[in-house]
Amino acid sequence: MSSAALAPYRSRRPPVRVLLAVAPGLLLTLLALTGPLYAPRTEASPVTAPYAPPGRDALLGGDQLGRDVLSRMLHGGSALIGSALAVALLVTALAAVLGCFAVLTPALGRLVERSADVAILLPPVLGMMLIALAWPGGGRLAVMAAATVLGVPYAVRVVASAAAPVAAAGFVEAATASGERLWHLALREILPNLRSTVLALFGLRFVAAVYVISMAGFLQLGPQPPAADWALMIRENAPGALLNPWAVVAPSIAIGLLAVSVNLAADALTPAARRAGAGVR
Amino acid sequence: MSQAASEGAGAAAPPAAPALRRAATAAARTGVVLAKRALMLGVLLAVVFAAIELLPGDAASATSERGESAADTAARRHLLGLDRPVWERFGDWMTALPTGDLGTSARGERVTGLLAAPFPNTLLLGATAFALTFAAALALGCRAALHPGGTVDRIIGFTSGIALALPEFVVSVGLLLVLSLWTGWLPAVTLTAPDGSPASWTMLVMPVLALTVPQAGWNARIVRGALADQAGAPHVAAARLDGLSPRRVLLRHALPGAWPAIATGAATSTGMLLGGAVVVETLFNYPGLGTVLSGAVADRDTPVIAGVVACTGAVISLVLLCADLVRARTLGARP
Repeated sequence: MSSAALAPYRSRRPPVRVLLAVAPGLLLTLLALTGPLYAPRTEASPVTAPYAPPGRDALLGGDQLGRDVLSRMLHGGSALIGSALAVALLVTALAAVLGCFAVLTPALGRLVERSADVAILLPPVLGMMLIALAWPGGGRLAVMAAATVLGVPYAVRVVASAAAPVAAAGFVEAATASGERLWHLALREILPNLRSTVLALFGLRFVAAVYVISMAGFLQLGPQPPAADWALMIRENAPGALLNPWAVVAPSIAIGLLAVSVNLAADALTPAARRAGAGVR
Repeated sequence: MSQAASEGAGAAAPPAAPALRRAATAAARTGVVLAKRALMLGVLLAVVFAAIELLPGDAASATSERGESAADTAARRHLLGLDRPVWERFGDWMTALPTGDLGTSARGERVTGLLAAPFPNTLLLGATAFALTFAAALALGCRAALHPGGTVDRIIGFTSGIALALPEFVVSVGLLLVLSLWTGWLPAVTLTAPDGSPASWTMLVMPVLALTVPQAGWNARIVRGALADQAGAPHVAAARLDGLSPRRVLLRHALPGAWPAIATGAATSTGMLLGGAVVVETLFNYPGLGTVLSGAVADRDTPVIAGVVACTGAVISLVLLCADLVRARTLGARP
């Protein structure tokens, strides 16, 4: 490994452009998290006829029970984004620590490789179904646990492959020779050199978490009615899409915008060298 | 990747070796890779079986009728063989697998019979989407790599970045509204023929498109990245310096070396396609595995869920095996 690989990553993109790419995702996240504060009505009280078209008292019309779609939209994003953020943080933290240990202990490294090889055989939706069943009534917590378990194997692999050249560097060998403990090597010597990797990984895991959690909501595995949830709204209101399209279109646009803007942000944070197919190999 | 063992074997056969010996090494190499993939599938099934065992509740109580006594439930538990030790049941199930027997469901039907009609339907959906994804990704990726940094490259990069982030069901909603509810070109719901397959090919269009859009975006990026990696290779640079046309350099010199990365990317998409199919099927009422799964999930039907995981896992393993062979071949071709 050349010393160039160990040089701290400097974005060739100017910071302003990175900020511009991250801003939409950040704004949307903040808007969704604070949404309940601006909602004109509660999420569960019927105010119009079922599937009423947009009007003066309900800007986006009513849903299948006549509840205000706009209010449910504003209520429905915070839990989705909150749980996605929590999952992304948890997976990234676990992977960062495990990945650093995996480089130093060959046995653990092999186990990581194998578990990622096995995990690739299980489509995320099926894994989600299996784990969400483990908790009849677990709701969101079960979905979050499932997303975490399913996300860790790949994430550890990404960290481990980035940590390999660092672990072979002279300063780590010197620390090893001077008899430093394993945890000191992993968390004090290697991890601080992986800041950009971990940041990029967090972005990617957030994208993946939004995807998996909204998928689970759509399959009615996580949030249960009458809770407002964007993915669940699409599922519930699909039968009335002709009467009031907004009941379906609004949550679809919200999820689409969220996924795309978060992905743009994650892209901007990812080092250019690893942008193509991060986590594939 | 831990493919070093399989790559090393047979790669160093001298060119003058008899064809028989080359065939033998190739067969041995395939055998090793095949055994490895089969072992991984076995591990996955063991993990799935254990996970379902650890869940509270079981099939006997999940399928109990209202007003059923505890004795009745216990009797059915005995009938389903749920009172036997876990390892014994798992052993039975695993040894029956190679003979094509997936056991009995919680309602006493053969799992093979339950999956016989829906699985081919899902496979048809997934395979069509896979073919379309592969073709689109290859075309877009190569087109973008033809003039790196040009306008077309940027447009393709930007749109694929947007497409790959969209969940399948969001794409489905957009397609449904535009192609079915507003223009009336395509049926919104899948109608089935008497044999349980979709009544006409038009019903496949929207589910296939919904699956293809995100995966095509993802794979177009991988193709583009793999070609960019190859562009720096010495033999590609030499071809460019020889004054060959950009198109020829790309297709004849850069693409052959990019196949391993492209194949691996396409193989990883298989899992996403099959998983996404389950979701898309529920929206279009498509008669596939998604419908079977939602029922099995409610019934705590271990054998059915494990059977579905076994089927999809086997398909993904096969595709990964092809990717392994592509990689071994490409790396074996270059000493």
